[in-house]
This record gives sequence, structure tokens and C-alpha cells, in this order.
Amino acid sequence: MRLDDFAIDNCLKCSLCNTVCPVLAVHTRYPGPKRLGPELERLRREGISTDTEWVEYCLGCHRCDLVCPHQVNVSEMIARAKAENRKPLIRGLRDWWFARPGLLGRLTTILPTLSNFALSLKPARFLMSKLMQITPQRKFPSYARPNLRSPMMTGKESQRVVFFPGCFIRNNRPDLGRVVIGLLERSGLAAEVASTECCGVPAMANGAAAEARAVARANVRALAQQVDAGLRIVTACSSCGHMLKTGFGGVLEDDKEFAGTAQKIASRTFDLAELLRSLSDAGKLNVNFQPTSLRLAYHAPCHQKSQGIGRPWYHLLRMIPGVSVEDLDAGCCGMSGTYGFKQEKYAVSMEIGKELFASISAAQPQMVVTECATCQMQIEHGTTFKAVHPAEILLQAYDERRCG
Amino acid sequence: MGTDRYDVVVVGAGLSGLVAAGAAAHRKQKVALVATGPGSFVNGTGWLKAQEILRASEAPDLREAIAFFCELARLAGCPFAGDISTARSLPAVLGDFQSVALAPLTLWNAEPRDGVSSAIVGVRGLSCFDENFMAERLTERARLMSSGCTYTARQICLSRDMGVPVTTLRIAQCFDCDPVFRAELLYALWAAASGFKRILVPGMLGLNSSAEQIAEFERELGCPVCEIPTLPPSIPGLRIFHRLESYLHQSGVELYRGFPVEQVEIHDGLCTGLRVGSPGHPLHLCCQSAVLATGRRSASPLGEEYAGCDQQMRPLTSTGSVMARNLFIAGPLSNSDVENHGNVLHILTGYRAGNLAASIRENHAAR
Repeated sequence: MRLDDFAIDNCLKCSLCNTVCPVLAVHTRYPGPKRLGPELERLRREGISTDTEWVEYCLGCHRCDLVCPHQVNVSEMIARAKAENRKPLIRGLRDWWFARPGLLGRLTTILPTLSNFALSLKPARFLMSKLMQITPQRKFPSYARPNLRSPMMTGKESQRVVFFPGCFIRNNRPDLGRVVIGLLERSGLAAEVASTECCGVPAMANGAAAEARAVARANVRALAQQVDAGLRIVTACSSCGHMLKTGFGGVLEDDKEFAGTAQKIASRTFDLAELLRSLSDAGKLNVNFQPTSLRLAYHAPCHQKSQGIGRPWYHLLRMIPGVSVEDLDAGCCGMSGTYGFKQEKYAVSMEIGKELFASISAAQPQMVVTECATCQMQIEHGTTFKAVHPAEILLQAYDERRCG
Repeated sequence: MGTDRYDVVVVGAGLSGLVAAGAAAHRKQKVALVATGPGSFVNGTGWLKAQEILRASEAPDLREAIAFFCELARLAGCPFAGDISTARSLPAVLGDFQSVALAPLTLWNAEPRDGVSSAIVGVRGLSCFDENFMAERLTERARLMSSGCTYTARQICLSRDMGVPVTTLRIAQCFDCDPVFRAELLYALWAAASGFKRILVPGMLGLNSSAEQIAEFERELGCPVCEIPTLPPSIPGLRIFHRLESYLHQSGVELYRGFPVEQVEIHDGLCTGLRVGSPGHPLHLCCQSAVLATGRRSASPLGEEYAGCDQQMRPLTSTGSVMARNLFIAGPLSNSDVENHGNVLHILTGYRAGNLAASIRENHAAR
């Protein structure tokens, strides 16, 4: 991040960042990325206090970074300001929990059935809204028994990869984790499940810089041996992928002990679809897909776009014979992880989602596919359509004949 | 490392890059467009100035290139009107008249015509647009030109909270997605237009609206309306970009947004691919030919060695040898003469480079 001391001078005030900000588009008073990023950053660097609650409203979608013609890291500046921002007690407490989905997951998955039952109770949600300012409008994702294990290793060394499940697949959707492992298996790759926890995106998003550094270090320790052995790391959650590829959001850049390995991890991390696409290019992808007449609409999550890998899922899904896939290209869903759960941000979150909801309604697909778990939640909350991970569709396509 | 394969990869989404990608796509090539943000033409009006046409008038393919661009813009829903051989006047935000050859169709309403009375309508609280200043200056200019045109300043007040300051971006965003807002704006403009033959408003009628949607707004208003592009972001400029990019995408051009090309791979005088600086590890784009339309503000991926291009748009080293036979230069990079820049040159070089890049693959296939 020290390198970016110069980035601020690259800002020419062209305001293109403002033209793509999902929050600015729906919130009249939001000052926008140009102001909250490079403009106020100049004051912050001089040690002038610019305390503003508005930095909390940044989604962390990175759209401003992607449109900037001069590669100013606008959202990173806002994220740093977020970490410095002092929040009122209750929000601070709530965000402390939201920053630690790993811890939350470990606690709730001790007795998942009981936790799910408790979290779904109306009085519990009412209390959470009053005491924690968590919106009662949304359902919490259900927790599962965390039983995602590495399959038995039989393959050769060169065919091994490491699967980084992140906290959501580990604690909420271990079945999806098995889908990912199954998908890799079909093309001859043996995936071992990394003994990692949360990637740190929620910590960054909730302004918990120390926690983000702590989980980043833990993840580097957990992955060090495998990347040193030359193994590739596979992510199936776009936020995890974004975090790993950016060296854990740059939080370890000043950390002599960890920076090198974090960089190595970044260069060895592949999004699941990115890896499958490269297998396909090399003629090594198992393309034994069975025909299906599925009509899908694809939503690319913001953290997929911020990885700069094109649209690998879109192209992979289209390899299934008979399938139709529409790329919705309708902006950000507005959920942004824990953002949409926050009572004061719920309305903004839903307003941002409107464009996507409308485009889904217009497309009338049988299902929406998107690789981000919280985009799925938002789509199912804002529309009547089911949203699934594209990996589930692709794995199913191998077996379509058996079903029909 | 991921590898994506294309016939033609175009780098840069300024006017030259968009035209190059359009030209290659029209010749049935599989095209990728890599860009970090739009080019700087979005900061302007989208006009093709008469002066620029004059400077490029010796180019034998000028008419063809402009005709292609106009066709592209029409298909994208932002048609241009005008003629390369006729210079006409259009008012600008600083209250002067510019000599223009071609402009987006919707901007021509502002052309001064004998004796026509116009209202220049500002919005209360809007930064970067001063209707009084504009009206005063334009009236004075019109008097000098003895065109008999009159300009009167009017201001509308929008009831909803538009933030401080109000920006054309905010108004354009509301215009795009809120029918209630559009109705309110329509009513306010209708009231301001009373007694005038036409109204001039700051560029704010939507970030994505097609010419047809603006014409519909005009029909409801019952009076010709014209936008005056303001400071960056210029809404009419951005609109052209959005519509052209979205048209290319629909025609099958794959867009890679957000990360710069860090390296052009050249082996034995042939460009084999490009490396995009995505986080973690680079993205590799394999291609039969490529167009570099990066502009001059970004670091050139060809490095210090690059010293201009030849007649065939191919990059040359300082000793005059061709760097790669299937690599073509478009836009400001193709011309070191800063004076000679402008939308016309960018369209011309983009058109040439796009066609040359497409012919590489076609020749390949023919052989």
C-alpha cells in the first residue's frame, strides 16, 4: 500500500468513479467514491480529521477501481478510512461479530439445527433488530454440520490442488464444497481441503483491520507448505478469490514475515471456473456434458469482476449442449456480504438491487446462477427466482442422462 | 494461467479502440476489447469539429471511415448527423459557437437559426452550468453574427433532494431509472419553455438513453430540446461510450474491463498475445492480431522502443524496423503531433487499424 502514495496524484478528478458507484446512484447524500477516496485521503494523510459515517456506506464492490483510467485504488483508500472510523457502540458491537464469520460459524455449527431454529424465530429476529440493529427483513443463511473433508488421495502429485472453501462453504454449504471437489475430480484433479477459515473480506468490510491481518496470517500459515510444494489453490467463492489474489487485500504488505508467501499464494490462486477454462483450453477438461434444456441467467458478482479473469463461468456453462445462458450484466446486487444485513443500510441495499431484480424478471430464467453466496441470498430475497452456484449446474450436466 | 483465444484483441476503449473493435467485429472476427475505463472522449461533447475534418482531409479513406463510424453509432442507438464537407455552428457551455461537421443527432437542435428564440434552462443548485452567463454571451455572439437569435436564461427548481451540489450525473441517473422524476422534470421544463421556440438544457438526459428515448421526451415536451455538454463527466459523451460499448458487447465482442495490458508478446516479428495485469497472476490473451489504442497518457505496453508507426499502422522502432507485422496502432499513439489530435483522427486510425487487424486472419484463412 505504500506504493500507492503516488496513486493519489494519478487522480485527475474525472469523476468516472462516481458514474459507476452503485451507492451514489441510489443515495442522494452519499458523497461518492471520488470525495471519500482520493479527495479526503489528502486530508487524512495530513492528519486532518475527516470523520465521516459515509465511508461505512461503501460496498467494497471495486467498481470505482476498475473504471479508473489511471488505476487509482479508490476503494482501498475508503477501506482504510473505514478502519479508522469510530462507530457508535451498538453498531460497533454488531460489526465486531460481522467481521468474524469464522468465529460465528464455529459457535453456531456446534449445534446447527438448534442455531438455525433459534435464528429463524421471529422474536429472535426482532430482538436482533432492536439490540444489534440487524434487519429483521432478512433470513440468516442456515448453518450445517461442518463435515467438509478431503477425499482420499489417489492421484499423482501433479494432479493435486488445494481447495480453499472459505467460511461460507465450510459452515453453511459443505455440500457445495463436495460439488466443487467432485467437479475437479471429473477432470482428473484431486482437491484437498485447506485447513483455513475466513478469507478476511468480512473483516475488511467491517473496518476490523487487525482481524483482517490476523486471519490473513493464519491463512498464510495454513497454505504456506502447499504453495511451496507448487500446488494451485482453488476458490469457489468470488470474494475469497479476490482476497487471496490481492495478497489478502494488501494487509500483509508491510509484514516481512508473511508478505512473500502471501504474494506466492496470490500468484497460485485460481477461481474454479478460471482453472476449468484453462483446462478446457489445454484440451484437458472432461466435456462429457449431457444435453439439457435449462434456461439460465448469469449474474457476475463484483468480486468476480475485480479478479480480471473475463467471464469463465459464462463460457463454461455454454459448453453444456442445449443450455441457454443470458449474461444479465445488471450491475451490483447491493448485498455486499454483511452490508445488506445492517438495518440502516437495508433500504440502500435493496434499492441497488432493483436493476438486477428487474433484469432477472425480464429474462424469466428457470434459475439464476452466480458464484457469490450473498448475491444468491439477495437474488432470492428480491425476486421469486432460485439462485444457485454455477458449479452445481456443471456437475449435474455430467449426470444429466442418469436423471432423464 | 488462464488463456483466452481471439482473432483480434483491441487494447483501449477510447473512440479509436471502440471503432477498431467495431470494424473487426463487422468483419466477423472474434474480438476482445481490453480497457481500463473509457477514453478521454467521454469528457467532451462527441462532436467532430470542422477543423479536425480539414486536417484529415487528405486521407483517402476519410469519408469511408466516417461513414463506418456513423453506421456504428446508428446501430448503437446514438446516431450522428452532419456532413464532413459542411461546417455548421453549435453553442458550447462557455457561451461561444463552435464550428462542427458531425455531432450526435440530438445536439443539432441547438444550431442557431434565423430569428429563433431559445430559453437556456438551468437547474437550481446545479454546479458547472450558468444559464445567465451563457444567455448573455450567446446573445452577444448572435448579435455580432446578426442571426437574429435570442437567448433568455430560465431556471427550474426540482422538488426532491438532489444532494449538494446538484450534478448532471445525479440528474442523469434519476432520469434513467425513475419515471416519476422524468415526469417532474418534463413538467418543469415545459413550464420554462413557454413562449420559446426551443430550450437548451445542460447535458443531463440520461447516461444510457437512446436517441429514440430522447426524441420521445421531446415529443412529450412539445418543443425541441437540446443538451449542452458540461464539465466532466460529460453526460452526452458518456452516453455515446455506454451505447457503443454495449452494442459491441451485444455483437459478440468480449469485454475485459479494469486492468491494463502489461506486456505485448512479440516473437520473430509477430505478436502472439497480450498479458493483462489482473491481480495475482496475469491473464493471457492469445490473438492472431492486435490493435493498440491505449492513448498517450497510459504507459505504452511497447515500452521505450516504440517510435511511431508506418503507413500500415504497424509499430516501428527508432531505427525504423517494424516491431510486429500483425500489430496495429490507433488513436493518439499513432501520431506524435499533439496538434493533430481529435475525434476525427481517432476514428480514422481506429477504422484503419481494425480493418488491417481483421485482414490478417482473413488472409490466413484464404491461404
